Amino acid sequence: MSNTAFVPPNVLPPFKLRFAGLLKRKWFREMVLLWPTLTKRRFSNKTEDYGVFKPSLVSHIGQLSIYVRDIARSRAWYEKVAGMIHSRTCELEPHPFKEGWRIRCCYMSATDHEECLVLVEEYDPSGRITVPSGMSFFHFALEVKGNQLEDVLAFAKQQQADGFQLNYGPVRHNSEPPLGDGETGGNVACYLYDPDWHNVEFCGAMDTIENYRERYGELKGKDRA
Amino acid sequence: MNAPTRILVTHLQHHVFYVTDLERSKAFYIKVFDLQFSALNHPDSSAAMRLSQQEMHFFSFGFHHHDICLVKHHKLKMDNNSMLHFTLAVKDAEAFDEIRRRARDMDLPIREGRMLASARPVSRAFCLQDPDRHWIEIIEEPSR
Repeated sequence: MSNTAFVPPNVLPPFKLRFAGLLKRKWFREMVLLWPTLTKRRFSNKTEDYGVFKPSLVSHIGQLSIYVRDIARSRAWYEKVAGMIHSRTCELEPHPFKEGWRIRCCYMSATDHEECLVLVEEYDPSGRITVPSGMSFFHFALEVKGNQLEDVLAFAKQQQADGFQLNYGPVRHNSEPPLGDGETGGNVACYLYDPDWHNVEFCGAMDTIENYRERYGELKGKDRA
Repeated sequence: MNAPTRILVTHLQHHVFYVTDLERSKAFYIKVFDLQFSALNHPDSSAAMRLSQQEMHFFSFGFHHHDICLVKHHKLKMDNNSMLHFTLAVKDAEAFDEIRRRARDMDLPIREGRMLASARPVSRAFCLQDPDRHWIEIIEEPSR
């Protein structure tokens, strides 16, 4: 399939993108949530938010592989936008779980994370490249160097100056004006679509167990609701 | 005059992927990896989720607010045609063994080794699938 005009169904249309910016206004969020408020279905996130007090068995996300239609085009985008470093592009290899299919892998690195992103061209048995559906993941996030609010704002400004359109943000995923959009996590973020409409978040300053404890001590979310 | 310094990214920070049944996937990720449920964004409590017709469950590895998030789209059907796999690096050798033991106890089919033939070698690796057939690679990285 070589349908370059394909746009996944979860990609926000332009008119919705205009509304997205209004999420930073409390009156707009209240208007959107008017129906669950009136019907008493609305609830606070606080009952579950930040209930993290013990480690898991996992340390970090090691790698993510995503399908792309054109490695060269995607590589150029991740180099230009994210400043990622091309590590290597491999020869065709058998698809790991589709009999008769083949893949080509391009490994991209971030400054502190070697080969964290793999751009994968997938070929069906007849040799045709497939088109990513856009419906396996909502987005993935790359942390911006510096990891502070100012760094993400500067990153967003840099992309706009270079002519790349943000599909959302910069926002802060909490309820604090002027950037807060009412969401959770505390991370400052801006979002861009890559050439295959994969939604990529560029973020920093996410809440941690340490700054949660500074604010609330040992109180779990349900105890402070 | 020097060109302005480009702002780079340091690492892959979190991943937010679609699932079909939030409770089933939540149970799976907690049971296999001890992930910590850290937040819930529901269309009845989040304006963004209401507009995008999605519901999101946040999970932490134990330090950041969220490291992976499960998303249910209430109107669209998810598939596995835009992501091949993702990798979870374990804390230590004991954690690797524990995840493997749990997977075996749950009768989850295990695929030995790395997912991609061209991937760099690590100390140990195996792969399994979550309830939506997302491929998860579990790796133990060499000691630094």
